[in-house]
Amino acid sequence: MNNLLKPAAYVALVLSSALLVLAPTLAQDHSQHKSGHENHANHKNHTSMDAAKISHSSSVYQVDAHWITHKGEHMTLADLQGQPVIVSMIYGSCTTACPVLVNDAKRLYSSLSDEAKKQVKLVMVSFDNSRDTPKALADYVKQYNLNSDSWVFLHGEDQDIRTLATVLGVRYRKRPDGDFDHSNLITVLDKNGVIEHRVEGLGQPMDKAAKVVDTLIQQ
Amino acid sequence: MVKWLGVAGLMFSTLTASPLVLSDPVRINGGEFEPPVLLDKERLSIEINSFMLDATPVTNQLFLDFVKSHPKWQRDNIAALFHDGNYLKHWPQNNAYPDGQADHPVTYVSWFAAREYCAAKGGRLPSLNEWEYASVQYRQQQNISDDDYARNLFAWYSQPKSDEQRVNVNATELSHMYDRVNEWVEDYQLLLTNGDDVDLLSGSCGDGARFLSSFTKANYATFFRYQSRSDYAPQSSTSTMGFRCAYDISSDTIASNGDQL
Repeated sequence: MNNLLKPAAYVALVLSSALLVLAPTLAQDHSQHKSGHENHANHKNHTSMDAAKISHSSSVYQVDAHWITHKGEHMTLADLQGQPVIVSMIYGSCTTACPVLVNDAKRLYSSLSDEAKKQVKLVMVSFDNSRDTPKALADYVKQYNLNSDSWVFLHGEDQDIRTLATVLGVRYRKRPDGDFDHSNLITVLDKNGVIEHRVEGLGQPMDKAAKVVDTLIQQ
Repeated sequence: MVKWLGVAGLMFSTLTASPLVLSDPVRINGGEFEPPVLLDKERLSIEINSFMLDATPVTNQLFLDFVKSHPKWQRDNIAALFHDGNYLKHWPQNNAYPDGQADHPVTYVSWFAAREYCAAKGGRLPSLNEWEYASVQYRQQQNISDDDYARNLFAWYSQPKSDEQRVNVNATELSHMYDRVNEWVEDYQLLLTNGDDVDLLSGSCGDGARFLSSFTKANYATFFRYQSRSDYAPQSSTSTMGFRCAYDISSDTIASNGDQL
């Protein structure tokens, strides 16, 4: 728990600066946000048969990339089908926004019903193909005391990281110093991998996202 | 890997003086590049490695060949995640482009579809910096002045046309960089920050001057290209966006093929 207090201590420092930093980026993401919602609206307007087809067709799990978990296991995102998923993108050596983002995901998890806590998966995908090896991610998991079956940290190839980020609406750019500028986003996927809810920015209230996950569990 | 046959084919066709096939890759020699749009405050110049780049945007014919062998990317089959509903909407049928438009650049292709095409050819989309670096070389090769470049670009924007493409049969250079389509690049979504030390900017047109390495017409035209493309969603499939592919060059390929390409 002590480790988890560290990111919390960053919050006060980081929020004031990082939120300002990321404001323009998040503003740019609105077009995608909107199109996500429009897709969702379309999906609701169809008859039930079509809806099933479309929900699959607009699933994030259409991205058929291979990933390696912090436990060294190979997987595709489609392996996550069947339960709601909370997904975010971070990088391990990030000391500013990322611990806050992980802590935000943890806050969301804490707000869930007991049943949801049992089922939901929290998937953290690294931007950093070169430094965030599965081993480095395992160290990160240990450092932040996230070592439960609910958490999965993923290492992938650059092209696939770009695909997933783009699908989720996360903008990022590798800087010359090897760090990343990125938008801070937590996404809730339904059991089929369709984007159901997005939390933009750091330190946001999690009530609504928690309600969404709880509802998805009951479906 | 498939595309390397294309490279070999290009060498062969150069030797035998048969026509250069549209969209065959040409070599872009690496070097220093000063990005006209500054994304890093501390870095004015970057090193670009040599790479191959398709001579022209990918044509309807080539894209048709691709979707025939990759049914997942046919208009009737493409997943909703990867397009906005307008994918290949100008094609009269699932597997047919409009009559007489074989050599037109393919349009109404999303960023996802463009990347998949390039991956299937053993390549990838060029990075934004690679494309712009190639563009600077193109302007030098073609003796296009900064003013003409800016004029051409803005003229295209005022009346975008994606007409038939032609290449010089003996060409080993790029063509149709500004007069057919705006082109997808891998990192087309701008992220206008300078790490944690950032001025609040949305990257709108009015901000342009603050990002430009020097405020010239040519740089402003380039920024305009970045910006108009950055506004698209990756699912966007429009009449003005096409693409060309890039290919890494391995060291032995440079040694054996470098001079001829």
